[in-house]
Amino acid sequence: MSAPPLAHIGHWWTSILYLAPVVVVVVFLGVQSWRARRRKNESE
Amino acid sequence: MSKRLLAVGGLVAAALLVAPAVASAHGLVGKQDLPIPRWIFAWAAAAVLIVSFVALATMWATPRLQELREKTVWRIPGSPFFEVLGGMIGIAVFGVVVYAGLAGSQTAAENLAPTFIFYIFWVGVPFASALFGDVFALFNPWRALARGVAGLLGGLARGAGSEPLPYPRWLGRWPAAIGILAFAWVELVLPRSDREDPSTLAILALAYAAVQLIGMSVFGIQTWLRNADPFGVAFSLISRLAPLHWVDGELRVHKPLAGVVGLDPRPGTVALVCIMIGTTAFDGFSQGSLWNDVAPDIQRFFIDIGFSAEHGVTAAFTIGLVAMVLVVSAFYRLGVMGMRTVDESRSVAELSRLFAHTLVPIALAYVIAHYFSALTYQAQAMAYLISDPLGDGSNLFGTASATIDYGWISANAIWYVQVGALIVGHVGGLILAHDRALATYRDPSAATRSQYWMLVVMVGFTSLGLWLLSAASQ
Repeated sequence: MSAPPLAHIGHWWTSILYLAPVVVVVVFLGVQSWRARRRKNESE
Repeated sequence: MSKRLLAVGGLVAAALLVAPAVASAHGLVGKQDLPIPRWIFAWAAAAVLIVSFVALATMWATPRLQELREKTVWRIPGSPFFEVLGGMIGIAVFGVVVYAGLAGSQTAAENLAPTFIFYIFWVGVPFASALFGDVFALFNPWRALARGVAGLLGGLARGAGSEPLPYPRWLGRWPAAIGILAFAWVELVLPRSDREDPSTLAILALAYAAVQLIGMSVFGIQTWLRNADPFGVAFSLISRLAPLHWVDGELRVHKPLAGVVGLDPRPGTVALVCIMIGTTAFDGFSQGSLWNDVAPDIQRFFIDIGFSAEHGVTAAFTIGLVAMVLVVSAFYRLGVMGMRTVDESRSVAELSRLFAHTLVPIALAYVIAHYFSALTYQAQAMAYLISDPLGDGSNLFGTASATIDYGWISANAIWYVQVGALIVGHVGGLILAHDRALATYRDPSAATRSQYWMLVVMVGFTSLGLWLLSAASQ
């Protein structure tokens, strides 16, 4: 019988903490790119 | 004192658990007692990369590394003699390792062959290459053998020798990439009883040598070595990061990282570097809890379709190994595709080749992070193995009773070295990518914007590396 998914939640939780910097950088750069595009559109 | 004893005891116990025999080059990790949780190191590393990125964008406005400027510091007297000597040493060491594997004890820890191949050769040579340049080229036994035979035949039948076949351009470094993947498969996937069996390793080493000699005889020695000798090509890539360059009987120096900028991105280069990173990453991943949760399910699938239990494990690990290489390749491709948001005139394939060299410091960082501990411990085993290479009780140099001191470096110090290597390696990758972007896009602002996604790739690789180390040490 395989272990219920919640049994491994400790592993997953700490793993997500390692993924967080990547997500933060992606979101930040996404916002920056969106702002740059908006400024460019406004100036045209 | 008692803490130190406990730490040493923990390290020894961990090492015995992790490496009951000699083990292939997996990192050995003792009990760490870090002041902050490990995941905070990943955040700190990401912060360092972001600060580095901003600093590059504001303070590095023109390409500085695209032209290799070297200074000759030493003309080596009698360099042909040293080349011959180095080759003879390489052949002798190769012979001893193969002989030990075939004729010595078949217990891995007692035999010179497994420790030499997995630690001194596979892990130690990249470390030495990153510091001192392409040391393997000097000792490469297959090159020395081929040159010796070619010299002999040339002397016997001068002018009658046939010209080597032209090496297919499309083949590039693909043979080297496939060879490194095959070695990683032996190291990480093959059942322990096979991969650590000294005679199996010796036979594989002989087969490898035969393939190299045939390749060199068909396509020419230098052409084959530059493209298709897996270890020679991989070590040469790493050596480009060193500030030292041994060439034409001279020792030249240049800025660190500058040597890798001139890497010719012929076909197979990106694949080779992704394989180097991906296989090392899988080594860490396969020791973590996530893989141990998933692997039995994959194994069960293969058993259900008729595989034996042992072959099911092999198939599961093969899939894991290949999947990790594909994940690394896809991640790099993602970074490259992001560059096209700045300028769509360049294809993904072209950009992928243009920035291939930026992955080399990451490959080295992964090697240091994952194998530093293994090398520091297992290199000590050479003290007794050179005195008793066959494991038959001999004591050639009086060091057969030497032991491994697992307490010479603390588990915390190892962790800091690993984190430091990952950060320095990825900052190096960022610097190389930024400099190449400046040369590619000319406009500094566009160059910086083109590297947004490469920053994501670098932060991702750093976090992945630290996560793998953390998972392996739990």
